[in-house]
Amino acid sequence: MEVLNYIVYGDVTVADILVFTAVVVLAVIFARIVRLNLKKTLSDKMPRNELDILLKVVYYGIITTAVIAVLPHLGVNLSGLLVAGGIVGLVIGFASQSVVSNLVSGLFVMIERPIKIGDQVNIDGVSGFVEDIHVISTVVRTYDGVYVRIPNEKVFTSNITNYVANVARRFEYVVGIRYADDAEKAIEIIRRVIDEHPFALRNPPPQVFVNELAESSVNIVVRVWAPSAVWFDVKTELLWRIKTALEAEGIEIPFPQRVIWFANAGGGVDVESGKDVPAREDG
Amino acid sequence: MIYGSHEYGFSYSGDDLTVECGEVYRRICRGDHVEKILSGGKKFIINPVEPVNLPREVTHYLCIDFKKPVLIESGASITVFVKFPVEICVFVNGKGVSPIDVFSLVTPKYTLYGNPKSGVICRWYESDVYTEVPETDPLREGIISLRIHNSSDDWVEVTKAVFDSYAMKIYYGDIVSMVAEMKVIGKHVAETTFIDRPLREGMKKSIELYVARKLLIERKSFLMEWGV
Repeated sequence: MEVLNYIVYGDVTVADILVFTAVVVLAVIFARIVRLNLKKTLSDKMPRNELDILLKVVYYGIITTAVIAVLPHLGVNLSGLLVAGGIVGLVIGFASQSVVSNLVSGLFVMIERPIKIGDQVNIDGVSGFVEDIHVISTVVRTYDGVYVRIPNEKVFTSNITNYVANVARRFEYVVGIRYADDAEKAIEIIRRVIDEHPFALRNPPPQVFVNELAESSVNIVVRVWAPSAVWFDVKTELLWRIKTALEAEGIEIPFPQRVIWFANAGGGVDVESGKDVPAREDG
Repeated sequence: MIYGSHEYGFSYSGDDLTVECGEVYRRICRGDHVEKILSGGKKFIINPVEPVNLPREVTHYLCIDFKKPVLIESGASITVFVKFPVEICVFVNGKGVSPIDVFSLVTPKYTLYGNPKSGVICRWYESDVYTEVPETDPLREGIISLRIHNSSDDWVEVTKAVFDSYAMKIYYGDIVSMVAEMKVIGKHVAETTFIDRPLREGMKKSIELYVARKLLIERKSFLMEWGV
């Protein structure tokens, strides 16, 4: 028992250190239990990004509270710690500028909130889902499932494209039909297909119009708004539905084609129809 | 009647819809076939729920576009009836109530209310505006009794109503209904609120999916700030 009363430094005894260690260990265990139970309870009741933030706040909140509560056992004066913290911060800042830079950038990213956990983003050429936002780095899971850690300094200074920051977004197709086909009928069919899709938004209204009389086709531009959460599914589904609906009505998407003239044959053959074409007067 | 509390072995068959509630739950709705094996539970409860779940949940707002506008003088009130699409949920009732299936005989459609940056995605439905309770097929359409009060200083033309499904209170019987209020604050701003009471005597209250599945969030109204 005398060992427990052995003074390590100042008024701090071995017993104080043991109390401090025990409280911190218990706090960590308690925080983990709380975090696990919250996760189990709230997993399907809250959006994942909000749940992750809540879990972090609760976990680190419990540990921080416990550490602050037992710091006096180590003879640490909290008001003195603030001053010391400032000095230590300066020292660390000079010693490790990039770490501090990332940390400050991370704080600004958290304040500005251009991205959230779960968002689909492109940061400095890396596209994927935001997996986590740490104090000094951001983790992105690419669409191929690859883990990419981006320092927050780079996140803060790079162009960030957040594909789901707005609730709705637009996509576009160019659908080419033959010159022989009825473009008005094709537009009507495309509009019907769009109207039948639940997530092709009614407002802003879709746009379908002839945009170009191209070399081999009449090009119809199709612009559709969809909820950001499902826009890619809508884009892929609609394109095929438009293609099959047009073909079902006898409207085809043409291959590139040319009318070839044979100068010495006195005439030509229309590649599309296979009919003979009379020779040109200058041929 | 498909709505209500049912014992194991209950089955329903109608136009485009077949439901069999047993140890193997089967449902065919407009060609879409679902089959699930159940372990536990004593009863099934089938009732209409908030119509924002199909084909998958992307929002919790419902927008009803009026086929003809309602013009209201400053300070005046009017009660109108509009239809909303019905989604049907099957709950299994054992130790607690759990949703096992949601289906609908109505094709869903979505829209954007407001702008892409700060607006909201809404389940969209277009309805006539009635001054009396209209005839409906309770498997397909419900009725919202909507009291509109114009508290602004001008005449206002109301062409739509947007509701937050967190606050929906659905009742069922011969009809499916909700009771709501819209307080027009300005020419383009209004607030919609649901009132927890049936449209007619004797109607039963639905188990709401958001209450069964989500955290109970106390939201009572929605502010329509991008036009009425």
